Amino acid sequence: MNNQKITLRTWRACVGRYCVFLLISGLCLQSVFAQNTSSTAQLAAQLQGFRADAWFLPDDEMLGFVPIPAGSFPMGSNPLIDPMAFENERWSQTSRQGIVELPDYYISRFEVTTAQFAAFVEATAYRADPQSQQQALNHPVAYVSWTDAVAYSRWLDKTLREAAFLPPALKDFLMEGAHVTLPNEAEWEKAAKGADGRIYPWGNQMQSQRANVASGGTMAVGSFSCPECLFDLKDMSGNVWEWTRSAYQDYPFEASNNRVNLAEDALWVMRGGSYNDESNNARAAVRGAADPGARRPFIGFRLVISKQ
Amino acid sequence: MQSASNKSRPQDGQGNGAVKSNGGVETTSVLLSAKQMLVVPSVFILALFLISLLPRIQSNETLTVSFWGACTALLLWAVFLFRNALTSGKRKGFILTKPKPQHYIQAMVHMSVYVYWGWAWPPVQEYALLLLAQLFFAYAFDMMLAWSRRDTYLLGFGPFPIIFSTNLFMWFRDDWFYLQFIMIAVGFMGKEFVRWNREGRMTHIFNPSAFTLGLFSLILIVTGTTDITWGAQIASTLSLAPGIYTYLFIGGLVVMYFFSITLVAASAAIVLFALSALYFSITGVPYFLDSEIPTAVFLGLHLLVTDPSTSPRTPTGKLFFGVLYGVGVFVLYTVLEMFGSPTFYDKLLCVPLLNLSVQWIDRVVLPLRKNQTLERLGLGVTPSRRANLGHMAVWIVFFASMTLMGKTDSRHVGDSLPFWAQACEEGRVHACDRMLLLESTYCTDNSGWACNEIGAQYYSGKYVEADPERALGFFSRACELRFQAGCLNFLDPSTISVTQPRAFDLRLLLREGGQNLMEMSEPDLYARACEHGWAYACTSVAVL
Repeated sequence: MNNQKITLRTWRACVGRYCVFLLISGLCLQSVFAQNTSSTAQLAAQLQGFRADAWFLPDDEMLGFVPIPAGSFPMGSNPLIDPMAFENERWSQTSRQGIVELPDYYISRFEVTTAQFAAFVEATAYRADPQSQQQALNHPVAYVSWTDAVAYSRWLDKTLREAAFLPPALKDFLMEGAHVTLPNEAEWEKAAKGADGRIYPWGNQMQSQRANVASGGTMAVGSFSCPECLFDLKDMSGNVWEWTRSAYQDYPFEASNNRVNLAEDALWVMRGGSYNDESNNARAAVRGAADPGARRPFIGFRLVISKQ
Repeated sequence: MQSASNKSRPQDGQGNGAVKSNGGVETTSVLLSAKQMLVVPSVFILALFLISLLPRIQSNETLTVSFWGACTALLLWAVFLFRNALTSGKRKGFILTKPKPQHYIQAMVHMSVYVYWGWAWPPVQEYALLLLAQLFFAYAFDMMLAWSRRDTYLLGFGPFPIIFSTNLFMWFRDDWFYLQFIMIAVGFMGKEFVRWNREGRMTHIFNPSAFTLGLFSLILIVTGTTDITWGAQIASTLSLAPGIYTYLFIGGLVVMYFFSITLVAASAAIVLFALSALYFSITGVPYFLDSEIPTAVFLGLHLLVTDPSTSPRTPTGKLFFGVLYGVGVFVLYTVLEMFGSPTFYDKLLCVPLLNLSVQWIDRVVLPLRKNQTLERLGLGVTPSRRANLGHMAVWIVFFASMTLMGKTDSRHVGDSLPFWAQACEEGRVHACDRMLLLESTYCTDNSGWACNEIGAQYYSGKYVEADPERALGFFSRACELRFQAGCLNFLDPSTISVTQPRAFDLRLLLREGGQNLMEMSEPDLYARACEHGWAYACTSVAVL
């Protein structure tokens, strides 16, 4: 009888413990599942407007590339109009600005995003800085060096040429000898301020609601509405500095003069300012420069398709 | 060491503290109880475990797990021996005897090399802790291996030269450090299990460190995993210590004096000097890249191949042994180069083969015992301390002559990149490969110029099979090292830009196997570059 009682008590204790175990496990599983569900939803929201089947390029007819018509524009700053102009924006000893003629080209509407860069890293097993993969997927990719940016553009060039769904206009343009690459300084500046010589992409006055400057960090690309901006380009000012394919040297600008000063340590121009800068660096003519190996939280890039 | 209990009596006929004379050397045996048999190795295991808790070890997960794995394996073994001792009642112990000079003198010479090298190359200082850990591991392992095979363990400094000489040539990287413990274990097992009867006495065939180094080198080469060790860095950083040849030469004299191994080391060195000179006179380029004898080979022929127990007994045999080592290293250098393997394994691979041949060598030289001329020169079959001193004198004169001729610590023609570029242009043997190797080395050292040059070679395919993808990798690295031509080539490789090294690059390119020249003034730097054959630098010297 006693033995029976003991057995019963032991069984009860076992079943009790088992139930507690199940309850705790269930709660853990439920919280993990809930977390997964919410993070999946977050990811889906971040990738809205981008094509998962096209390396997360923007989901529009031209995969986010905007045509910039051929023509000339005034490059550099005129301190009479723009009192914040820096000395390195002066065209020459004799003139403040220079007129630069550019052929047709395309520039990407948005800065290259973390998701786009991650697609490249995944496809090529590229050894990127792990921090470049840790931002939100729809934020501009950061912690990328100039060489990372060039490597991405080279990969996208090759990938787009092989893509079956490439818009005919882009396909023709590539077939005519254009390349996907970083913009040179002139291509970048013309896209930002057009031919009318404005100081900021939206006009001559700073408007803090038009660009992510002097803030705590990057924001999703295209977060700022800018109806006055030319060509409907996003974040030409602020968010992250954007690498160009121009070596840093004094104006006047010439597309083919990168091979001057080979004995100097390399510095490459970046444009547009970042969240980490004040409004004077949001001006379209501002010229920043950085070491090509620099990987910083406030440096990213955008692309052009150019014949130059 | 105290005896365990009065109940358990020694079973091998020797009591605790029993003293007997062994060939004139007094030895004392100490027997342990089963409990003490567990405690003694556990002290070493505990020391190993405590080291594993230090930040240096904790900084790498694999390294920590390697330590804990080693501790666990040793502890299980100790428990197994303890249980065996309990069930069988059989006691094991130590033999205490006068320390053997070949252990502690060799260890002291090894230690002095570490100190001098570590003074010039800081990673050696950081490695000291891992060296200490290996010593604890070695004592515990060797002790338990001895107790598993017989009743006593000869307590002394035996593990020191094995650990020190192994680590003078190879360390596994932190992520692979468990292989270091295995390598040490294999060395001791080779000493314990691979034995033969030599002159009526059972003795180990292989030099324990050379055996395990040779075996692991072979495995690493065959599996293409040589980069998981610090072997290449060890071989190249020895020369960072100023006057390293002279330093090793002096350390070598100590070993030569005490162990009469002059003929082995000196003949190996003389053969290598002679073969190098012969090669240069035929081809017009040095055989070894940047020295007459690589520093690590010079170290090896003093401290690796000279173990008295595993080398021939007779002077003629030693001479023959040294000559074979010199020839072996010389040949292996080319063989390894042909297979695209790192050449620093040349000094390691031939030692086990030579150890295997010592009895044969002793037999071959036996007929020379009647040759009075050789005997008079101390090269016969009868060892003599006086003859060894004579051989040392000859070696000192030879080394001094080589030094005066600039063949040891002085600048070597192979240090000059323009020399190899010119030799490559002229189509001299191996010159293009050597040029690429040097450029690759300097690229790894962060010279943007060197990265750009090697990238240009891979892109053009002039001296090496074209490999545009690889070229882009080098251009990218050159660019990140702020070499502007590298950036331009990376952006658009259709027009390759090359230019002269910057001052920063020269500080790396002109180091001649020593420290980088970060503090050197620009005029001195350009003067040195001019001496190295950089024509543009001679113009700069004139301007400066």
